[in-house]
Amino acid sequence: MTVEKFYYDNKIVKAFGMATVVFGVVGMLAGLWAAIQLYLPASSLNLPATTFGRLRPLHTNAIIFAFVGNASFAGIYYSLQRLCKARMYSDKLSWFHFWGWQIIIAAAAITLLWGKTTGKEYAELEWPIDVAITLVWVVFGINMLGTIIKRREKHLYVAIWFYLATWVTVAMLHIVNSIEIPVSFMKSYSWYAGVQDALVQWWYGHNAVAFFLTTPVLGLMYYFLPKAANRPIYSYRLSIIHFWALIFIYIWAGPHHLLYTALPDWAQSLGTVFSIMLIAPSWGGMLNGLFTLRGAWDKVREDPVLKFMVVAITCYGMATLEGPLLSLKNVSAIAHYTDWIVAHVHVGGLGWNGFMAFAILYYLVPKMWNTTLYSKKLATNHFWIGTIGIVLYAVPLYWAGFEQSLMWKSFTPEGQLRFQFMETVNNLIPMYISRSIGGALYLTGALMMVYNLAKTMAQGSFIANEAAEAAPLVKAVSPQKEYWHRVIERKPVTLLVLSLIVVAIGGLVEFMPTFLVKSNVPTISSVKPYTPLELQGRDIYVREGCYVCHSQMIRPFRDEVARYGEYSKAGEFVYDHPFQWGSKRTGPDLAREGGKYPDSWHYNHMYDPRSMSPGSIMPQYPWLLDNKLDTASTPAKIKAMITLGVPYEKDYANRANADLMEQAKTIEGNLKKDKIETDPDMEIIALIAYLQRLGKDIKGPAVTAQQ
Amino acid sequence: MSVIIVLIISSISVAGIFLLAFLWSVKSGQFEDPVSPASRILFEDHPPASSNAKPQKSNNTDL
Amino acid sequence: MVFQILNKAELCDYYSLNQNPGVSRKLTNRPDKFAYLDEEKITLQLIRYQDKNQVHLNFYLPQIHCSSCLYLLENLRKIDPGVISSTVHFIEKEAAIIFNPSQTTVRKVVETLASIGYEPYISLNDLSAKKPKKDKSLIFQLGVAGFCFGNIMLLSFPEYLGIDVKDQYLQSAFRWLSLFLSLPVVLYAALPFYRSAWSGIKHKYLNIDFPIAIAILATFIRSLYEVVYANEGGFFDSLAGIVFFMLAGRVLQETTYRRLTFNRDYKSYFPIAVTVIKDNKEFPTALPEIKPGDTILIHHDEIIPVDGILTRGSAFIDYSFVSGESLPVRKEIGELLYAGGKQSSGAIELLVIKEVSQGYLTRLWNKDKEEKEHSGSPFFVNFLARFFSVILLGIATLTAIYWYYHNPARIWPAVTAIFIIACPCALLLANSFTSGHFLRIFSQHNIYLRNASVIDSIRKTTHLVFDKTGTITDSSRFEISWHGLPLSELQKSKIASLVSQSSHPLSRAIYELHKPCSSLIPQNFTEQTGLGISGRFEQEIWNIGSLSFTEYRGSASEGTNVFIVVNGQSLGYFHFNNSYRAHILDTMAALGKKFNISLLSGDNDAEKNYLRKKLGRQTTLLFNQSPEDKLQYIESLRLQGAEVMMIGDGLNDAGALKRANTGIAICESINNFTPSSDVIMEASALSGLHRIISFAEKSRQVVLLSFGISLLYNTVGMYFAIQGILSPLIAAILMPISTISIVLITFFTSSWYGKRLR
Repeated sequence: MTVEKFYYDNKIVKAFGMATVVFGVVGMLAGLWAAIQLYLPASSLNLPATTFGRLRPLHTNAIIFAFVGNASFAGIYYSLQRLCKARMYSDKLSWFHFWGWQIIIAAAAITLLWGKTTGKEYAELEWPIDVAITLVWVVFGINMLGTIIKRREKHLYVAIWFYLATWVTVAMLHIVNSIEIPVSFMKSYSWYAGVQDALVQWWYGHNAVAFFLTTPVLGLMYYFLPKAANRPIYSYRLSIIHFWALIFIYIWAGPHHLLYTALPDWAQSLGTVFSIMLIAPSWGGMLNGLFTLRGAWDKVREDPVLKFMVVAITCYGMATLEGPLLSLKNVSAIAHYTDWIVAHVHVGGLGWNGFMAFAILYYLVPKMWNTTLYSKKLATNHFWIGTIGIVLYAVPLYWAGFEQSLMWKSFTPEGQLRFQFMETVNNLIPMYISRSIGGALYLTGALMMVYNLAKTMAQGSFIANEAAEAAPLVKAVSPQKEYWHRVIERKPVTLLVLSLIVVAIGGLVEFMPTFLVKSNVPTISSVKPYTPLELQGRDIYVREGCYVCHSQMIRPFRDEVARYGEYSKAGEFVYDHPFQWGSKRTGPDLAREGGKYPDSWHYNHMYDPRSMSPGSIMPQYPWLLDNKLDTASTPAKIKAMITLGVPYEKDYANRANADLMEQAKTIEGNLKKDKIETDPDMEIIALIAYLQRLGKDIKGPAVTAQQ
Repeated sequence: MSVIIVLIISSISVAGIFLLAFLWSVKSGQFEDPVSPASRILFEDHPPASSNAKPQKSNNTDL
Repeated sequence: MVFQILNKAELCDYYSLNQNPGVSRKLTNRPDKFAYLDEEKITLQLIRYQDKNQVHLNFYLPQIHCSSCLYLLENLRKIDPGVISSTVHFIEKEAAIIFNPSQTTVRKVVETLASIGYEPYISLNDLSAKKPKKDKSLIFQLGVAGFCFGNIMLLSFPEYLGIDVKDQYLQSAFRWLSLFLSLPVVLYAALPFYRSAWSGIKHKYLNIDFPIAIAILATFIRSLYEVVYANEGGFFDSLAGIVFFMLAGRVLQETTYRRLTFNRDYKSYFPIAVTVIKDNKEFPTALPEIKPGDTILIHHDEIIPVDGILTRGSAFIDYSFVSGESLPVRKEIGELLYAGGKQSSGAIELLVIKEVSQGYLTRLWNKDKEEKEHSGSPFFVNFLARFFSVILLGIATLTAIYWYYHNPARIWPAVTAIFIIACPCALLLANSFTSGHFLRIFSQHNIYLRNASVIDSIRKTTHLVFDKTGTITDSSRFEISWHGLPLSELQKSKIASLVSQSSHPLSRAIYELHKPCSSLIPQNFTEQTGLGISGRFEQEIWNIGSLSFTEYRGSASEGTNVFIVVNGQSLGYFHFNNSYRAHILDTMAALGKKFNISLLSGDNDAEKNYLRKKLGRQTTLLFNQSPEDKLQYIESLRLQGAEVMMIGDGLNDAGALKRANTGIAICESINNFTPSSDVIMEASALSGLHRIISFAEKSRQVVLLSFGISLLYNTVGMYFAIQGILSPLIAAILMPISTISIVLITFFTSSWYGKRLR
């Protein structure tokens, strides 16, 4: 046994780092553009690809998966090698991971702008890309695990645990949430429907926040903060405890996104309880980070890297306090559907994720290029501009959310709603403007970073493979291979119980489809499946991303019932694959839109919203009037729905288009009465059919609700 | 709401995997010394001859 | 110099990591200090593993204290290239080193370590005695219990939060899942309780784990029944919770115990002092102050407290405390003497080579005594447990009978509920926590107990036996007068050098009078404990001691006298006027009202009347007691059923101390470590003896108080249980509340009583 010499792979870190910077800028640009569209709808250039409904998912996917994703990979590849004192298990796998990921991002950009979306937030990518993500993720896992196995440092530093937790949990979340039935190459329907879909979606959605945006970055913090400050983490013991506490509790906070919705009460309360419990481990991490710098604040004054980290950790603390508070029912009643939530997200996103990414880039680039940062002053300016940007972003939106909610809930003394929805929107314009200025500042800072880093790279010389040496691990004297197999085998009862659990999971996965289908028996007898035309219209609704601005879930509050109609019941959504409850009311709720306006109103409104609603900020959708509906896809869609248990007649797929045309002709007739000439097989007709269906199922007088 | 069973089973399985990981860690002595790892990551492990000449080809076995 | 070494090896980060790196190198070692490490048979004992490419060994480096230490030690190979790897275990202050035998040797590695300030403490005792393998299964069980408990709790919430009727099937799914999750708890995590209860049953008694085991099984069976047949919720959350909290309590107990016994922390010390020689003067020095490089004086029969190299005197070391080998081993000048050995041939001087290890001494302390108790809990706890179980069974039977006649359907729910709620968990926790607190409080007052069971033996004392000389008399304040032929300076020196070999209080006192001449060393020194010493100076045979020992001829006054006879000629005697410690006689009189008191003395009965007046009629006074007599006396008291507490001065009363139920060794400034005692305390604490005993009595009160409160909870729960309407929610709430309140109560009441101790 001798001391071994080996090399760390910096090339892969450089690659991921570059991708981070590029997609960070792209994602921020998309976000800025979307923000501007909110008060300047014309800035969408009137193209289908760049409407708010399609641009927003591009922004979220670019930021989460392309920016934070690549940043995390860069940081993980750098730190894992050094913590394990070993080069990555396989260079080939490293590069497969890199290129695979970037191809996925490219595919995402193209498909999202093209309108190929599943209609589920942060999981919009269609099924072929989902498959690709799974593949790349598995490769990533093999590479990580292989590196850990061939490590030369016995102890697994806490950061490594965070990386592992990320990997395992994201894998599970992705697979469970992405279970969909493909209809065509780029179209699928969610396996779950309505309330079930909502629960799965937000179980996924919140945990995506937890395990994609938090745990890997926490792991990175536990590595890069001590390195940058050259001091050990404040309490390593605390970090161990905080990790294990977080891992066991995080899984259950999902339902807090669905408070006061049609999700059963007890499930909502469960979400609240666990969200509150989460404050402790989250703040454990924050305090651990901040206390590490105690007595070293002079270093923070000097070093931009540490400045970014301090603000990042503070924003993390704020967001993780605010989150649980938002999951209290009475707070959620005010904040849900408003810009308050957007502000909350961006404190975390801009502050925690963005600033940590910047800090790590500022740390890594000089190190890997064997030089010092080109301009500390420029970096410090970036820091200040970015921080001001965050403040200018969040504060107006907090105000906007709060004010809009209050306006919605405001009644006149006579008991009428005081404000029209449009009035509340117009009220927000100044805040939206301010917010986009904040975002622009943030982007500017990022561009300063790009310049700074480019100059740094130019003045240094890149170390593609960094030399290192360490002694290999001591093979323990006692036989330790297959260790925990033997532990389990020595305790037959434990083995039995664990096997039962594994079998139960397997069994469940197998019979789950039928099980779920059976449970979708409608509890409201008057709820019927969508007609073929309505189904097509619904798919257009999903395609255009209408759910990004419009909700379809009326909460049991006096003001909402007064404004929108009867509050939503779980049974109404049993055939909704996917559910479209939405998370934001940039525009009004549409749950009971059906029958409120004549068909022609919708026709004109889609062509130019301002013609029907002056002052509206909704984009124009003129192409709906000119595009032919793809009726050829109808049979496949019906068949898929039948598989999912929607009670169409057995061979309805073949007859569907006939019904479709019949209903379309009716609508064509209605439009003609209002002086609008159009062919019945246009996309707009389908959309109108869908919109007119919304909420009609229980409007009828004899409602036989069984709940 | 039946899907909640699926979610619970998945979550508990993941948590179960972490329980196993925890047991392995305790057994293999990962938590014996909770003080030194925090400092250990700060040490650089460059070879004494601080030349950074390295082959650029990326073949593995740590080069 | 350290910096130069570091600089050469490019380890300059060392200073940037810490303000006060390492240990200052004041001491330069002799070049051949580690020569003994060239010997293969010595190194063989140190080496863990070796083959032709690598040698593995572990060193204990007490100087490790900071991150710079870590850095330096883990980069050792940059200073000595033969080292392949070195890993530091910070808490244990150990370095695991692997080196290449063709490039360096054990000696070289040790010298390298020493040169940078981290000289390893090499004690063959430390290594050959296998460190007890930490049993981790308790941690595993705790982890499994915690995992299952957390998830069962989550699954129980829907029911508490009011799950809808229409989601009933979900409800039963949750219950089944809880059932599965409870299996690892019942079948694996709860094993320690079953094992303990079973071993109790095998020995035909019900110990405290018996009701707990019953509770666990009853809860499980009832919950199983409810879920499978009765379509109700079951109590899985309470079940898992009980097991989890009980295991947590156990883990806490074990960690505290291990930390107290194997502690390698230098903060708290026995009030023991050792004589340090500096510039030919003697300074009694407290243990923590002993530094490597000091020269200490060890008297006859004293235990060596720290490793050193023999520099003077003839050493016959008895390592019976350490290795059980009681044949004394002769050691030469320059040889290494290990801590724990007893010097048995006069005084010697040692050059100290490391600091004292408190933990090591504690371990020695506990090694000597036979185990008095099987379980960690005092007798009355087990008694209560048995009592408890009987009552429980009684209540359960009565309840069953009652319901049989009124409503048979309620039998099962009521009986199982009784077992669920009536858990004496509190008693177990109360006991372990209380013991821990009391030990800690005692040690804060410089009273050191060997282990927790000593608290109970103090409490049960019925008879106190005091030694006189050195215990209730203050040997630093004797008035000594010489009666006899005038002594020449040479004679005085000879006397002094002879008495300096002994640690008997009277010898020490005489020694204070006449300092020896350093060139006079007696030959053939022997001591008969409590009787006298003798030695030879060239042709003169000197005997110093009691009348009978020296065979003194002549008259002597009453009182304590030490006679001197040289070659048969009676020279004279030293007369000692006893001076009793402040308040001690009053304390003894006060104690005499509650306890039986005896006073044993090796002296004659000159002071009998004085003492009788002071101590009262009931006190037994015995004089002219040899060590053997004292031992026999204690034995006879015990045979009569008394619980004896003996207060003596350590080495001279070793046998008696051992024989007593509680042996208290009084430490003076110049006394020594006494493994045969149960308690070590400072002489000045003696006048507070009654407070000490009453504090120990309080321990039982604290436990009983906690138990009473737990009983209150149990009663409330029992109220519901007997009626057969105990809801899982109530059970779930009562359990953690009672546990937490026990923890807090034991802490606060112990502290409060502790305030009255001083």
